[in-house]
Amino acid sequence: MEFESILDKKLLPDAEDTGMPAFFLDLNLDQIVEKIQSLVQVPVKKYYYSFPADKAGEAYRRAIYKDVKKESVQELLFAFSELAEKRRQAQERKQSVTLGMQMGARHLLEVAAYCDAYTYLYEGLVEAPVESEGLLSLRAFLKNYLFTQEFQEMQKEALRLREELLGFKVKLVYENEQLYVSEDTLPGSYESFLQKALGEHGAELKSPFSTLGNLDDLEQEIVLKFARRHGKHFEEVRSFYHKYREYENEILIRFSEEIAFYLSYLVFQKKMELQGLSFAAPAVEEGKDMCAGGLYDLALACNSLHTDKAVVSNDFYLAKGERFMVLTGPNQGGKTTFARSLGQLIYFTKMGLDVPADVANVHFFPELLTHFSVEESVETGRGKLMDELVRLKPMMSGESQGAFVVINELFTTAANYDACIMGKKVLEHFIAQGCRGIYVTHLKELTQAHESIVSMRAMMDEHKVQNFKICRREADESVCAMNQVNKYHLTYQQLKERLG
Amino acid sequence: MRVHFLYEDKEWGNIPRYADAKNIIQDLGLKTLFSIAAKEVIYKDGRVDSIDKEDVFLARTMEAVMMVPLSSEAEILYRHEMLQSALDNKEFIYEMYTTVEEMLKTWEALGRRLSGRSTKDSTAKLVSDIHVLSLFVNTLSKIKRMLKENLPGLNARGFADLYDSLCGEFSEEKEEALQKILQDISFYIRDTENEEKTEVKPRIVLGCNLAQGLKCGGFVVEEVHTKSRAFGVRSSMAELVQGYIQSQKPEVIQLRKDMNLLRQGLHLEYEVVRYVVSACAPFVQTYNDFFDQLHFQLGFYKAAIILQQHIKRFYLPQCYPVVVGRDTLRFENLKEFVMAVEQRVTPVGNTCDIARKKLLVITGANQGGKSTFLRSIGIAQIMMQCGLPVIAESYESGIFPSFFTHFTRREDSAMNSGRLDEELKRMSQIVDNLGAHSMVLLNESFATTTEKEGSMIAYDIIKALTEADVKVLTVTHLLSFAQRIYEEAGEMENIGVEFFSAEREESGRRTFKMIQHPPELTSFGMDLYSSIIG
Repeated sequence: MEFESILDKKLLPDAEDTGMPAFFLDLNLDQIVEKIQSLVQVPVKKYYYSFPADKAGEAYRRAIYKDVKKESVQELLFAFSELAEKRRQAQERKQSVTLGMQMGARHLLEVAAYCDAYTYLYEGLVEAPVESEGLLSLRAFLKNYLFTQEFQEMQKEALRLREELLGFKVKLVYENEQLYVSEDTLPGSYESFLQKALGEHGAELKSPFSTLGNLDDLEQEIVLKFARRHGKHFEEVRSFYHKYREYENEILIRFSEEIAFYLSYLVFQKKMELQGLSFAAPAVEEGKDMCAGGLYDLALACNSLHTDKAVVSNDFYLAKGERFMVLTGPNQGGKTTFARSLGQLIYFTKMGLDVPADVANVHFFPELLTHFSVEESVETGRGKLMDELVRLKPMMSGESQGAFVVINELFTTAANYDACIMGKKVLEHFIAQGCRGIYVTHLKELTQAHESIVSMRAMMDEHKVQNFKICRREADESVCAMNQVNKYHLTYQQLKERLG
Repeated sequence: MRVHFLYEDKEWGNIPRYADAKNIIQDLGLKTLFSIAAKEVIYKDGRVDSIDKEDVFLARTMEAVMMVPLSSEAEILYRHEMLQSALDNKEFIYEMYTTVEEMLKTWEALGRRLSGRSTKDSTAKLVSDIHVLSLFVNTLSKIKRMLKENLPGLNARGFADLYDSLCGEFSEEKEEALQKILQDISFYIRDTENEEKTEVKPRIVLGCNLAQGLKCGGFVVEEVHTKSRAFGVRSSMAELVQGYIQSQKPEVIQLRKDMNLLRQGLHLEYEVVRYVVSACAPFVQTYNDFFDQLHFQLGFYKAAIILQQHIKRFYLPQCYPVVVGRDTLRFENLKEFVMAVEQRVTPVGNTCDIARKKLLVITGANQGGKSTFLRSIGIAQIMMQCGLPVIAESYESGIFPSFFTHFTRREDSAMNSGRLDEELKRMSQIVDNLGAHSMVLLNESFATTTEKEGSMIAYDIIKALTEADVKVLTVTHLLSFAQRIYEEAGEMENIGVEFFSAEREESGRRTFKMIQHPPELTSFGMDLYSSIIG
């Protein structure tokens, strides 16, 4: 199949239109993406806002990311990205050109940079151990493109003219309000004198002209005077400009932008791995139980990098026939964090990237749906319940067939009896829709709501202190009393700290 | 670039002061000493004419240096050597000090401390940078010349070492190169120095490339030069013709034809000069602290010279102290300098000779000269430990870099639990800060409670301190404390206790002299009784 995009087999609709998905804030993915963006120069956020079109698209990406993680492939792609960035900058500089002659020179440099970048990429791909469909089809595409006579001619001319341009040596003599322009190679003898007299001084002679792209008046005069000596060169550059005004291949330019998606995540992942966090390429075997080992909340881990807090990780599995995990346990016991890490597991799997866990097998879900109460504190008043129901409605009425659902503390403001009934209805709805997911609640009754529900509990150690471990357990009555103690910061551990 | 007038191996700065400096100054009345060292004696026909007003910088310098103890005999001897040379070459020290002081003032006026100047004023900044560069070069030349001329009379190593290192780091070649650079870029400060009737113009040769899409880049400087010609001198016909032919060449851009071109030409001058000046920045940087250090360190010796004038003016004895073991304290005719200055009297001199003693207990009635005696030792110790002479005919003591005073101040002496609390708090702070080789002067400590309680507190603290190898000199009229120490003195062989008390003549008259004498175990109530009842 002909190469179209590195993000999916077919060209995706323009990512900028879709915006941040609904689940982003609930799962704290915005914080992770912000962190990723902070590590790279080019804008990449938009690529994190949309999933590939289908299951095949996810596999397409996963194979590419597997290639990208190979040392020699990433070296190639990073180097290529730098070259492509040079071309982009050259293109940008053309915007501010005032002198026609300068437009020609800038365009020449841009085309030459373009030729450099893609020739380099192709040669690298021939050598590199690539196996993914995406990179292999790109290589085939490049082979066809680069060996056309048209491209070859353009490249030859561009490189020749660039060499001439780079070779020009201008000599300026400033005296008596006159500037005498000639050509000469100058050794910089005053600089040598300074160096000898003063030693290493680190001073740098800055250009007296503006740093903007266009030429200052005096600079323009200098170039015009100088060009008189090299009429032929400047004439050739002019005709090159007219001949190759539209030189670029759109698919290749798009590739140079989109590859940043993989590279940005790679940079981020390597940095996190250096800090001791682990990542795994998820398996996607539908025949086996869905499970993960050492699963953690990546957003939380990012934020506590420079603190001494240990990253808490958990294991889970969902056997065949098990649809929902209903998670109960003490406040501040890691319930929300666990729910988030599950959502992140699904998200990164669907993105075709590595997941924050030691090991994982994740099934395919067409959708990821989340509902987190905005404030975790208990408020009174009808407003909040109403608000929750309003937000729940589109989740339950839309296309939720087979989705993965993450629900955190629904109906906390309703009476227990009402909340139980409503919670049960919600669970039954999603189970009927063939969904799987997790439901975090303080209502132990919900663990009995359906036979396909797995009861999970946030655990405490022998001192009745939360240890953030999430296990398959029956819901526990004593949790409620513990909550009260906890709320007033009167547990053993808390008192130790307060009195310490 | 280093000065090393105060220490043979280091500059001034970041050397710890006495932890208790503030209290030492207050308890020993040292402000008076700092101040007098900053007031020059003006002589007329060889006689004291008047006393100049206080030079605040010198007073602060004296305070700063005195509050940082030297830690070895070698350091003290180095200062003695420098000080003697300074005293022998008073004019030279004064002249050098003045040179540096004026240089710093000029530098200040050129905007030394205005770091965040707006970029709009960059031309003015560059002009002042050039002036600063020139100031540095000229001052260094002058200092080097002065040192060279006076070197034969300067016996202390410090001066010769400075001259040597100046010759190394500010060599003839470097000086010449810097003078050439200043000459080359002098066109840039023409506006501010137009008193000469010459016209100055730059000639600059640059190389560059067009690699950035015809933007000029990769500049190198080939030549920077200032040409000058006297105003009003007319060019010869041949020169005019030559100039005209040159200007008609097709490669020549006439900057005068357009304001923009002219402005950009001036900016080209600016960047080139800025480059040359910033190449000199490391040189300026090297001497950035040098002048401040030189000013400060010379300031100490100038203040010491002044101090000596006052010592002579009051006809006080003086000597260079001798460093001995820490359990020895030996002096002859030691006088309390601050009292002499303050009260314009010649204080009583004391003499003592004690060896192998860590505890000195001074007892006696009020107004007997106890506190004065204790202070005179304290002041002498501080003066010795900063390399100054001591007000005595001879003074031998150990070095105690960890030195504390704990004086009950008169206003504090009312009996008051709050006061005792304060006293104990201060004592606790002293204990926190005790270091190796400590000396503590206690004056009427713990007198703010009952005699019995005070004695117990004093006994416990002083015993603990001395057992921890701290030298303690205490003035006390806690009689039960003194008595207990006296009774146990035999057992405290390893500590070694010496007792002093005010000398009383047979007639009961006080001489204000302190003598080695067992504690008087009476409060002299009998004196009082007999003087009144008879």
